[in-house]
Amino acid sequence: MSERPDQTRNPGPRWGFAFLRWADRNWPRWFFRLALRVGNAVAVVLLPEQRRQSRAYLTVALGRPARWMDVVRHFELFSEVLLLKMHVGHGRDVACTLAPEHAEAFEALVRSAQPALFGTFHVGASDLLGYRLADWGRQVSILRLRVGNSDDTRLLGERFVRHVSFLWINDPTKLLFDLKDAIERGASLALKCDRLEYAARTEAFQFLGARRLFPFTIYYLAVLFDRPVAFCVAVPGRDATRDPLCLHASLPFHPDPAAGRAANLAAARLHFQTVLTELEVLLRAEPRLWFNFLPLNPVAA
Amino acid sequence: MSDPLIDRLKILIVATLKLEGVRPEEIPDDEPLIGSPRFGLDSIDALELVLALEKEFGVKIGSSEESRQALTSVATIAAFIRAHAPGA
Repeated sequence: MSERPDQTRNPGPRWGFAFLRWADRNWPRWFFRLALRVGNAVAVVLLPEQRRQSRAYLTVALGRPARWMDVVRHFELFSEVLLLKMHVGHGRDVACTLAPEHAEAFEALVRSAQPALFGTFHVGASDLLGYRLADWGRQVSILRLRVGNSDDTRLLGERFVRHVSFLWINDPTKLLFDLKDAIERGASLALKCDRLEYAARTEAFQFLGARRLFPFTIYYLAVLFDRPVAFCVAVPGRDATRDPLCLHASLPFHPDPAAGRAANLAAARLHFQTVLTELEVLLRAEPRLWFNFLPLNPVAA
Repeated sequence: MSDPLIDRLKILIVATLKLEGVRPEEIPDDEPLIGSPRFGLDSIDALELVLALEKEFGVKIGSSEESRQALTSVATIAAFIRAHAPGA
């Protein structure tokens, strides 16, 4: 496994997080906010690949050609959420409210002792969900791809070290056994299910106007280990750095051990399609929440 | 002369992974299982196979290098099981 990965796909330089930390601590708030806006505009100019992917995605999500300001606001929301993660990593507690839809079933699962698989996406402040699960007393193993500018992950991991561990997925040959070990020792897993890299199984689902490929591995794990699956995304408030997060949860999916693999996977496909449909509703309302500055999930052949 | 453990493993592999059109005796002892274009097994298949082997033979296949190498082929699986489940 590489300890010094070269990948820097988030919209920011490798040193950006350390600089943000320093500036957030040392500059007056008004000046910091102003500098952040200027810095975002500069980032849009200097990061053509992320800019291009942002524009391509926003054009699909908005249903019209994305404008320059759409892209700038996309970058801005990303940096606001990065700041929020930084503050949480430094010990600030962030309030969370659970959106009413599916809240009862999701909370019942989360508060139970049953190990589960929690899926999420690179959406809004969903990076914080694994740590929120730790707050609920769960031991959580979070699957992460180690990229060059993932200092936010490191900082959060240091704060929640008693409840959260990481499974770095840069080494696919080892991942398989790490996953198994984590599940068998009763940990809950938190994994993002939108990027295709290292996905053992992908399937096509209707999303943003086309049938697009998504990782489907989480459901195979659920069926193999008889674990429930629930999805959740964290949507920041109007002021992403200060307002409470709103958690949008799915109904849990419970494999039926008596039903057989094929029937369980068929039910899982219906479940994930519902999850993606509900995610699309959120993204149509606020397209900037999608924090994949990569090509949108490809249309299935 | 055929090896009963090898034969049993091949039957288990075909049944567990539902390999369509593959008969147990068609699986060569030394052919790589994972990543082989012939069998098309991926990491989820490997995981499923590991769980089936643990259940069938009572062995523990963990994250050690030894365990990972055990999954290379039918022959290496058999060697691993003989080393860790002598009664098999």
